[in-house]
Amino acid sequence: MTVLLDKTPLGARVRIARIDWTAMSEAEGRRLREFGLMEGCEVTPLHRGSIFSRDPLALTVGRMKVIIRARQAAAIELEPAA
Amino acid sequence: MTAAIPSIALVGNPNAGKSSLFNALTGARQKIANYPGVTVERKAGQASFADGRPMSLIDLPGTYSLTPVSLDEAVTRDVVLGRQEGEKRPDALIIVVDAANLDNHLCFALELLALNLPTVVALNMLDLAERDGLTLDADRLARELGVPVVPTVAVRKRGLAELVAAVDGAIQSHRPREAGAAESTDASLHARARTIARAAIVDEAPVRRWTQRVDNVVLHPVAGLVLLFALMFVMFQAVFSWATPFADALESGVGSVQLWVVDTVPANFLRDLVVEGLLAGVGAVVVFLPQILILFFFILLLEASGYMTRAAFLMDGLMGKVGLSGRGFIPLLSSFACAVPGIMATRAIPDEKDRLTTILIAPLMTCSARMPVYTLIISAFIPARQVGGTPIGLQGLVLFCLFLSGIVGAMLVALVLRRSVTKGNAAGFMMEMPRYQWPRANDIVIALWQRAWIFLRRAGTIIAATTVVLWLLLSFPRVPADNGLSQVEYSVGGRIASGLEVIVEPIGFNHDIAVALIPAMAAREVAVSAMATANAIDAGDDEQKMSDQLGDTLQGKWSLATALAFLAWFVFAPQCISTIAITRRETNGWKWPMFMVGYLFALAYVAAGITYWTAVALGLG
Repeated sequence: MTVLLDKTPLGARVRIARIDWTAMSEAEGRRLREFGLMEGCEVTPLHRGSIFSRDPLALTVGRMKVIIRARQAAAIELEPAA
Repeated sequence: MTAAIPSIALVGNPNAGKSSLFNALTGARQKIANYPGVTVERKAGQASFADGRPMSLIDLPGTYSLTPVSLDEAVTRDVVLGRQEGEKRPDALIIVVDAANLDNHLCFALELLALNLPTVVALNMLDLAERDGLTLDADRLARELGVPVVPTVAVRKRGLAELVAAVDGAIQSHRPREAGAAESTDASLHARARTIARAAIVDEAPVRRWTQRVDNVVLHPVAGLVLLFALMFVMFQAVFSWATPFADALESGVGSVQLWVVDTVPANFLRDLVVEGLLAGVGAVVVFLPQILILFFFILLLEASGYMTRAAFLMDGLMGKVGLSGRGFIPLLSSFACAVPGIMATRAIPDEKDRLTTILIAPLMTCSARMPVYTLIISAFIPARQVGGTPIGLQGLVLFCLFLSGIVGAMLVALVLRRSVTKGNAAGFMMEMPRYQWPRANDIVIALWQRAWIFLRRAGTIIAATTVVLWLLLSFPRVPADNGLSQVEYSVGGRIASGLEVIVEPIGFNHDIAVALIPAMAAREVAVSAMATANAIDAGDDEQKMSDQLGDTLQGKWSLATALAFLAWFVFAPQCISTIAITRRETNGWKWPMFMVGYLFALAYVAAGITYWTAVALGLG
């Protein structure tokens, strides 16, 4: 069973197995890669929205903390971190 | 060697500390304008080499790569490639990288290095990297990249002389080569950046936990929001209470200048024009400078500390529900100071429909120009007492409610617009969260000074011109001695206002307001100076009456219902030529500004009407 980034529990380090680039626009995909979010990298999801909504998602990539929407996170498949 | 002053561009990722470095290098010698044809801010400044030769520095918008997503990122690409209209290609680049985030920032640096311009890398915010447990080898990094690397700490002015010397050296020793591409794919570019970063990092302690502990509270689904609203509340309370002594001092200053002119200059047309027109009008607006600066002070502080992005994160869920994104939070929050920079800041929103909606609702955020109007009416009609036994002031509470009505109105309008005229896909929201840092006093002071200057220039030009024209309209023709009408009623302006009065009478507006509404089209705060001018004309040479506070005069003439309706009107009314002009420029045509003006006037009329009728029904008429 594949685990997607928008559903995974907060605080646990995970590795990105696959990203469905077709699920987002060209520009969104490029920005994800510019953030360093690509196949093989390890991330830690940390915060999810507020009481208004469970969107967006804040996660760490390397030494950076970035924000993406749940819609993009749903295109990111995970595997357990090494 | 050419005689022209070399131009050097500062370029790098967002949050690399570029602007602080730019401020440290140029001091207050800065010039802010727009790139021709686009509305991206061009920040340029002067600095000099060690031997005194001048150089011109430009601070380019932060971006992640040479493939732009938004308008300001496109400017960065075009300038470094020499394709930007009206800007020559920089003679050298200073690539600013965050020492604590080399993995990521080196990707863009490698892309820029492949352009083969004379280049120096500023390894910036080294102190923060050390705080985070990183030890870096700048010489090793320089060998890996093949260009000089200078460690800098902009805030402590560390490394600035070395940086300037390295730029000089890079320009002198540069051998032009064919520009190439950094890497063929994003993945290989990242891999190379990571390899270089690993080589340059001597020692790496685990990431310090305190930032995460702070974020656990600040970004908490409930506590974070409570904190955000508390901060906003304190901010608006402070705007009201801190500014009072300064505003009072300015007010009495203007008053004594007026009296001095009356005492020293013989009575003539010019003296009346200066005292009743210019000083009364401009003075009434300049008095609000302290409040505007306090508001900007808070916004700049939140931005510089890294909190603003957290606020955007918290608000994104709510803004997403009305079809906007957290990205719009910063432009909208800036609109609290002024809708013009707010609308300009929407360029950072990549989605076109999202951006258009944000532009259309930006004027609903209570801008600083409304402050003079709100302050005047609130201090005249709302008693300065505490609510119940709490330390919350009633005046501050009313002000808070006015801000809140604007926000709620904006959200409802966005909801309707996103389902009708700006229908489209759900907007995206991707942002980097900067680390927390202490705001630098120097950066805040420079930014505050720039805002104050913009405001004073406006007061000195548009507002001064409008008040003089208004004074002329209200002073002529002179009322005959045997006529029972006042000078204001008898004048050209008074007669135009009488026509307008017919339309606004049903919503409780009187003749005073009708007179103020016309010139207030130029800028909202002119409504106050217009009333001050009209008041000064009626007061004539009666010094006692002239020095009366405008608020006291209004108190005697208006009912509470009228005052409240007037406040409600200003929550919505699109009375600002600059906002309409900037919207035209940002949306490339008259369609959207006209739409904006139409819907806002309709809302203003309805809101003022409802307020007035409700207040009258409650017996406040």
